[in-house]
Amino acid sequence: MSVIEVHDLRKSFGRTAALTGLDLEVRPGEVHGFLGPNGAGKSTTIRILLGLLRADGGTVTVLGRDPWRDAVHVHRGLAYVPGDVSLWPNLSGGEVIDLLTRLRGGADEALLRRLVEDFEFDPRKRSRSYSRGNRQKVALIAAFARPAELYVLDEPTSGLDPLMDEVFRRHIERVRDEGAAVLLSSHMLAEVERLCDRVTIIRSGVDVETGTLQELRHLTRTTFRLTGADEAAARALPGAHEPRSGGDWVEFDVDAADVPAVLAGVAALRPAGLTVAPPSLEELFLHHYGDRP
Amino acid sequence: MSTATLLASRLLSERWRLPLWIGGITLLTAASSTAVLAQFADPEEQRVLLLAAAANPAFRFLRGLPIGIGTGELVFFQIFTYLAALAGLMSTFLVVRHTRGDEDSGRTELIAATPLRRTAPVATALGTAVVANLVLGVTVALGLALPGLPWRGSVLTGSAVAVSGLVFAGIAAVAAQVLPTSRAANGAAAATVGLAYLLRGIGDAMAQPDERFVTRESGWPSWLSPIGWGQRVEAYQTDNPLPLAIGIATAVLLGAVAVAVAARRDLGASLVRERAGRERARGSLRSPLALVWRLSWPSLVGWAIGAAFLGTVAGLLAPSVADAIGSNAQFLELIRRLIPGSTAGLLDLFVAAILGMAGFLAAAAGAQATMRMRAEEADGRAELLLAAPVGRARWMVAFLAVAVASVAAVLVPAGVAAAVAFAAVGEQDRTGSSLAAAAAQVPAALVFVGLTALVFAVLPRLTVPVAWTLLGVSLILGEYGTILQLPEWMQDMSPFRHTSAIPAEDLDAGGVLALLAVALATATLAVLLFRRRDLAV
Repeated sequence: MSVIEVHDLRKSFGRTAALTGLDLEVRPGEVHGFLGPNGAGKSTTIRILLGLLRADGGTVTVLGRDPWRDAVHVHRGLAYVPGDVSLWPNLSGGEVIDLLTRLRGGADEALLRRLVEDFEFDPRKRSRSYSRGNRQKVALIAAFARPAELYVLDEPTSGLDPLMDEVFRRHIERVRDEGAAVLLSSHMLAEVERLCDRVTIIRSGVDVETGTLQELRHLTRTTFRLTGADEAAARALPGAHEPRSGGDWVEFDVDAADVPAVLAGVAALRPAGLTVAPPSLEELFLHHYGDRP
Repeated sequence: MSTATLLASRLLSERWRLPLWIGGITLLTAASSTAVLAQFADPEEQRVLLLAAAANPAFRFLRGLPIGIGTGELVFFQIFTYLAALAGLMSTFLVVRHTRGDEDSGRTELIAATPLRRTAPVATALGTAVVANLVLGVTVALGLALPGLPWRGSVLTGSAVAVSGLVFAGIAAVAAQVLPTSRAANGAAAATVGLAYLLRGIGDAMAQPDERFVTRESGWPSWLSPIGWGQRVEAYQTDNPLPLAIGIATAVLLGAVAVAVAARRDLGASLVRERAGRERARGSLRSPLALVWRLSWPSLVGWAIGAAFLGTVAGLLAPSVADAIGSNAQFLELIRRLIPGSTAGLLDLFVAAILGMAGFLAAAAGAQATMRMRAEEADGRAELLLAAPVGRARWMVAFLAVAVASVAAVLVPAGVAAAVAFAAVGEQDRTGSSLAAAAAQVPAALVFVGLTALVFAVLPRLTVPVAWTLLGVSLILGEYGTILQLPEWMQDMSPFRHTSAIPAEDLDAGGVLALLAVALATATLAVLLFRRRDLAV
């Protein structure tokens, strides 16, 4: 059974339609990327999943229940990290972590100590003096310090530096290996590419594509980069799209179906060097948002 | 961005809040001058009232100095110190909001990155205060002159109110530079307003009336108070603008100090440092109620200290009121006209009036504690708790419980302090009635807790302005309704009208039950409706 099942979700704020028929499914044991530009409806969806907003239409099931009607019950099984973490200015970070974990039933103390250490977090400072990254650490530590069935993370790493990003990745993998599901919203392609098993791409309030990274790769082309090959011959290869060159290299894109044929053609050109790169999610995004570069 | 643009954007951001302050203070002014002109048109009555006040230190402490026996002097005596204190509070919150408040929220950092001087945020915050106080000065002058008071005195009163506001704006600007948070700066600067009111009160109480019972020389403590300086203009009497210069010079000096500190310190730094927090939470911090208590208890302590002070004043000064004017039959007659149908003694009326003030403070404390829900929701902290296994009802009830505790934090100290003070001056038989008088204020205060919660549930984004407006309108209807001769049904809209003024009146059990029923109904409805609405950021 899926951890999150959303079908034909609709939500409007006044005359603005935020969600216009979104489908989303998250299964146990997967890290599910929820990818879209700012304003696509990611946070609205997440707030509906948490029962903070009420859906106008469609069905929403989280951990087998309706999050609007059974919010408290659903929340017992999940941990949430908001996109813009706001804390009580007078409380220290340590106090907020304790409060949030206690509300969920208490932290695993050993795990909590490890998280504070891993994230190199100073829990004694007052919340008002924390930077954005440190406020995010508070919410992340509180979320990870107690096992949950589902982790809902709304752009959780936007304030973290690369080292902390690595710590974050380790803990995501840990909870995934323990069988939990993770819904990770992001507008950063590299992050989703690095962390997620499956991805749902959302645009203007509706999902435009869902699948594993493998499946989504079929939708776009592979980039070939040759060095030390005859440029004119390379440009003329059947199936090579948008060729460009400079110095001693030439680069072109190939449709997935044409890859075997092009490979044979490339071999005949006897290049000195060859790089074949899978498309980055940047390219996936261009595919879906090509109409507004 | 230029400095002028910044000033304009500050004024624009105040387009709702400032008019509410200025309008409220002006309305109070106009209501008071209209009431005095209508009710005390007879010069003989005015003379009696002023003589009674002049003879009594308690009245002088609460209101000011009776500087003469004309209508204008009577209005000035009755209202100037209130207006100056309100202008001070308006300016304090305004300046702190745009200086340390912006710094707390990170807005100042954005401004600091533009090619403006480092002092621009402080300078424009002070500029906003200048504009606000100038407008306030003009509207107060109009509120006095249009009902029929002389123009010269009215303009001078408006100017004195504006200058008092500017001095407190300067104090707030310095506090915002020196203290680490907007909460601390607001607290310190608002306490200065209270201290200024207290100092001039002591000074006025120390004053000696001359042989004509006119009192124009207050004691030395009054000279330490910006409100005391404002009183020296003696509007409608000598109309002396010179004392305004002291206030203007002080305001300019304080503003210059704030700008100088701002030019030298790091962004976010302060002279007073903050202590480190706890590494782990106390064991008790494990529920929404514990959190709301943790967030709110400092303001409860503040309310309790203020209320205890008020109760002490009632107890200590009441006997001297009775001694000074109890024998004046004409004055008693005047009082009876203000409270129709009352046959109560003067002392009872005084105690009832002071504890009525405590009742209003209790309503304000309860409403303020309830409004905290809106800040929690708007800043996204409600989301953090409500995404944990905490139901909407449990979350809201935690705030309502602390709001009820805030009401108690005002009325318990007020009643107990009054009882103890009465005992200290040998009026032991008044102990019980003081406690009863404080207890009688509870139901109306609870109504404002329920009403504020209901506004929050239905119109979340308007919670703060609507709730304060309800409180302000209820105060005016309850306090001035009779004098302004408003229709009975309109006066009855104010919950304060249904509070029994013990010991001047008997307890009205029907009123108590009705108020409690309204409080309970609004609070219950608020919980039900909040569970059905979206969180509104």
